[in-house]
Amino acid sequence: MEIEELKQCFLNLDFDERRFEVKQDAMLEFAAACGESAPRYTDAAHPEFQAPPTFCARFHGRRMLPSDFPEIGIPLDAGKCVMPQRPVRAGAKLVGKSHLHDVYEKTGRTGRMIFLVSRMELYDESRTLVSIVDSRLVIRERPAE
Amino acid sequence: MILDLHSHSVRSDDGRAQVENYCQWVRKRALPIDGFVLTEHRQFDFESDYAALAREHGLTILKASEVETDYGHVLVFGVTPALLSAFDFASIRLPLVQVLEEAERHGAVAVPCHPGRTRVGMCAHVVERGPVAGVRIVEVYNGGSRGSEDDEARALAERFGYHGTGGSDAHIVSHIGRCATRFPAAVRSEAELAEALRAGEFEAVSWKSKS
Repeated sequence: MEIEELKQCFLNLDFDERRFEVKQDAMLEFAAACGESAPRYTDAAHPEFQAPPTFCARFHGRRMLPSDFPEIGIPLDAGKCVMPQRPVRAGAKLVGKSHLHDVYEKTGRTGRMIFLVSRMELYDESRTLVSIVDSRLVIRERPAE
Repeated sequence: MILDLHSHSVRSDDGRAQVENYCQWVRKRALPIDGFVLTEHRQFDFESDYAALAREHGLTILKASEVETDYGHVLVFGVTPALLSAFDFASIRLPLVQVLEEAERHGAVAVPCHPGRTRVGMCAHVVERGPVAGVRIVEVYNGGSRGSEDDEARALAERFGYHGTGGSDAHIVSHIGRCATRFPAAVRSEAELAEALRAGEFEAVSWKSKS
């Protein structure tokens, strides 16, 4: 299947929705794992206590790709990008909605690769966007027989 | 003037370096380059304006592109809006001949990069299908080259009489300035860079083992 065809069939269509609760302990553990030292991330009693900017990368939907996405190869993790929009506070209840944001191809030493960018948009209870998480997957083209 | 002619910022999908951090690294490490060219993958970045950063750090920051052709990856210097419309920069199946011709027609210069690299370098394709008319310059020093890849690039340049450039192909901050190109006079704009490349008076330099 060609890249343009994949784009036309799958881009920007929500394929998953999942609810998450932001727990204080998880925020503190994440901050410690990141080596954060700013009190707003490490001190739950701080008046501006919030999750580190990349915290939402820990949230995953039930699936990474649409259920009817063609099996063109085995997707491997190719990195994550978090675009925080609002502070994430302890106790917040978030809804993560996922869609395929981009499909593109490139060539490298190992040959042709197809990249899939699965985007999860996380909203709070007032439907305000708090974070955007892009999970990039790469599928390497099978070498010709 | 010495410019690193091949680098990527976070504007490229696999770039991990902010342009400001490149500037800081160049100055902090007192690297012997006067600036660098951002050659983002499969696009040309008309939006970003690095003039203030360049002034602040006393560096020349120019923009170009790295596109993908049937003979491997190619740097395109002197990109204009008209050239951007002449072919699909995002395609990974561009005919090298087309890129060379359109670049020439629009006053730009196309330079096959890392020719010694497997699959995405020009050398193997030349062996398989022969040389391509219109190539005048290839990148002979690439900061990301492995093993004998740069040796193969220099051998290709020598065999066909190509001029040679150097560039770090940096995707992370600490790789900027590993290789570069020395020009006899100042290069202050993308158009001047294309002109200087057309003039053919430049020399590839490498500090890979020192940086």
